[in-house]
Amino acid sequence: MNRTPQPTSTPLSRREFLTSAIAVGGGLALSFSLPAQEGGPPRPAGPPAAPRSPSAFLQIAANGAITIITPAVEMGQGGHTGMPMIILEELGGDVMQLVVKDAPAAKMYNNPLFGQQSTVGSFSVRGWYTELRRIGAAGREMLVAAAAQEWGVSPADCTAANSVITHKPSGRTKTYGSVAALAATMPVPQNPALKDNSEFKVIGTSPARLDVPPKVDGSAKYGIDMVLPGMLVGAIRAAPTVTGTLKSFDDSAARGMKGFHSTVALPNGVIVLANTYWQAKSALEKVKTDFDPGKLGGVDSAKVSALLHSGFNEQGAVVRNDGDADKALAGAARVVEATYEVPYLAHACMEPMNCTVRANGDTAEVWVGTQSPQAVQAAAAKALGLAQESVTVHMQYLGGGFGRRGQADYATQAATAAKASGRPVKLIWSREEDIQQDFYRPAAAIRFRGGVDASGKLTAMEARVVTSAAPDFGGSPNPGFYTASVGDMVYDIPNLKVTGINKDIGLRFGFWRSVNQSHNPFMVEGFLDEIAFATKQDPYQFRRSLLQHEKAKRHLAVLDMLAEKSGWAKRPAGHFYGISAFAAYGSFIGSVVDVSMKDKTIVLNRVVTVIDCGVAVHPDNIVAQLEGGMVYGLTAALRGEITLQDGAVVQSNFHNYPMLMMSQMPKTESYIMPSTAAPGGVGEPGTAPIAPSLASAIFAATASRIRSLPLSKHNVDIIAARA
Amino acid sequence: MIKLNINGKQVDLDADADTPLLWALRDDAGLTGTKFGCGMGLCGACTVLLDGQVTRSCVLKIGDVGTKAITTIEGLSPDRSHPVQKAWIAENVPQCGYCQSGQILAAVALLKSNPRPTDADIDAAMTNICRCGTYNRMRAAIHRVAKGTAT
Repeated sequence: MNRTPQPTSTPLSRREFLTSAIAVGGGLALSFSLPAQEGGPPRPAGPPAAPRSPSAFLQIAANGAITIITPAVEMGQGGHTGMPMIILEELGGDVMQLVVKDAPAAKMYNNPLFGQQSTVGSFSVRGWYTELRRIGAAGREMLVAAAAQEWGVSPADCTAANSVITHKPSGRTKTYGSVAALAATMPVPQNPALKDNSEFKVIGTSPARLDVPPKVDGSAKYGIDMVLPGMLVGAIRAAPTVTGTLKSFDDSAARGMKGFHSTVALPNGVIVLANTYWQAKSALEKVKTDFDPGKLGGVDSAKVSALLHSGFNEQGAVVRNDGDADKALAGAARVVEATYEVPYLAHACMEPMNCTVRANGDTAEVWVGTQSPQAVQAAAAKALGLAQESVTVHMQYLGGGFGRRGQADYATQAATAAKASGRPVKLIWSREEDIQQDFYRPAAAIRFRGGVDASGKLTAMEARVVTSAAPDFGGSPNPGFYTASVGDMVYDIPNLKVTGINKDIGLRFGFWRSVNQSHNPFMVEGFLDEIAFATKQDPYQFRRSLLQHEKAKRHLAVLDMLAEKSGWAKRPAGHFYGISAFAAYGSFIGSVVDVSMKDKTIVLNRVVTVIDCGVAVHPDNIVAQLEGGMVYGLTAALRGEITLQDGAVVQSNFHNYPMLMMSQMPKTESYIMPSTAAPGGVGEPGTAPIAPSLASAIFAATASRIRSLPLSKHNVDIIAARA
Repeated sequence: MIKLNINGKQVDLDADADTPLLWALRDDAGLTGTKFGCGMGLCGACTVLLDGQVTRSCVLKIGDVGTKAITTIEGLSPDRSHPVQKAWIAENVPQCGYCQSGQILAAVALLKSNPRPTDADIDAAMTNICRCGTYNRMRAAIHRVAKGTAT
């Protein structure tokens, strides 16, 4: 049967369809540069980014196939659909002829906003938006120029859409594929004309996600699915403490077991290699290991909390100092004080960490699902003693990333085992290793003092932010980073002092979906809620009163839309609402949580989320990200907690690190603010507002203020409402 | 050598009887659509159907399978045409997709025994973890199948 062509997404670079491909702009360098985006991170210092060739992003074959190479990997966030849509919009290409591939590890694919090739920080669309549009527009102009040359007409008389160029006066047409070869010889336009937003035909629509079909029949290939001829499979046991080292091991009881190949010693653990995973895991259980616990030895969670609290009494770095908070607090009619605290969290991607490496002498190949291809490339190269560019990274789908797969520890391990054994190796972590060898969302705490005048106006606030992470990304963590949403809050508080201090206990830091905003808004918004109730003000109106200035306009608009969509002013009897909104990842996000009481149980009726993410590239996917982020945040708020005993993570699998299930899933409503502003992030913002909004709703319903997470420690039972 | 009936075919696998079905499927039968998530039967990523019944293959030894018919995601349809697969596509359910093989098979089993499940039925039957939080879309997709409007 001749099937309708379908757009396809493939993370495999081996797909061979472009046998007759001719690249648009092949070999021609086209240097684009972008101004730094307001509100974004500073552009990296040093030499400017390498020139980007359009052909590194866009190729058109003689048969019309449009290959788009996306610098954002696909981990469920829609990178294989959203990024190509941006190029396709300006290219005027036919979506049905689209083939999407992952970019290889190369500096050309470094995100223009932060200078790394990493799918992190909700940076993909906001970092690449203008660059991808220019690449698409350049391609369109070159194709039109080629057709015009063949016809001997002016390009100005031609239009392009759906992969067809039309000469308007004569009505003649040519397909993109038919002129691709000639187009490749055309000069690359340095300033291609971009569409006005009102002309968008692709951006703002919600085509079916390209990675969905292979994810419903088991054909989608993740890193863990890799199979190579002669491949060994590895199972790993690392030191129980993440600061631990291997002192010795004894594998005599494992030798001779069926399929056993060898044991590879790592600085902090052992890998057993065998013919299959089950053989490797079974043999690993027979290996005796002795570890030195390192810095974390003897550390337990009570000590973590004590350490956090000790930070309140130390002089932290001042990251914000408006007016004179000390003086204003001393003179306030009333001072409200509160301390908020959250625990460490693990990522728990559904696909446990894994990596496959084949060393081929002077070169090597890696098959992996990663958020940071160059980090994997560098890690494998180092372990193998090769130059970084000698390592090819074959990108696979990611079974969840959430920040965990920005690390490359598993690549170092797999490469070490491949080198030691002289065979291709697929290393697969157990779930226990995955939870106990993570890079953790830090435990953190904030002590607030708020000063209120006689009329109930918040005149002063002091926030002492304490975090507890061993930095893993070079140098000490920047207080401006871990005080996000505190030091940069836009609430109109004339006297505001924010300090930050890191009390490194040895547990390594991890970027966990929404990072510092996974906890700081819970604390700031919770404390604002306390001020509102202490001064008998409506939590929504109280926030409004602090957002009446130019810099808070989009924040305020989200708050107002939340109130409107949730029916804040007309809360039904017996329903209690909580609200929060703030800036996050270049977007503005907020939610209203609607609860009611059934005896002593809190019934979660619905979660209403609003985002202003600027131009919404794929609205349906944005809604999916808002829901998914909310679930990630709610899971943590309800029961998420990593604790330490003698330096080792206590939690080991889903029985003691539980995940939200279908039966606990609340109803959701998600709304996107119409906007023509530059795109903001959407992958992470949705994680952040659920905890503060839920805590606010719980207080409205029970008069019980939640100042620490998870809720399971407060004897709060929560169920999702069902009709 | 263990004989198994996988997706309608008799397959001889050179694996020990105490090997979990999950790893026999993945490493010995080459069927990688069934996923490893926890190894303790907690998350359901490894869900397969055994004579139509939802089974967590990471905690079932192949020596205990006997002659029961094993259905994996690869055996559900040759062309993504099963109503549950069509509904999953129509609702754009998967995100990372890693848990979805198991989720789809759990939904297939539910709808076979209960063609018009209520939300409470769905809550009770769909006990697999989705870390991406696609629960409401899965629920919508199941209702879509029940209403006969999969596409």
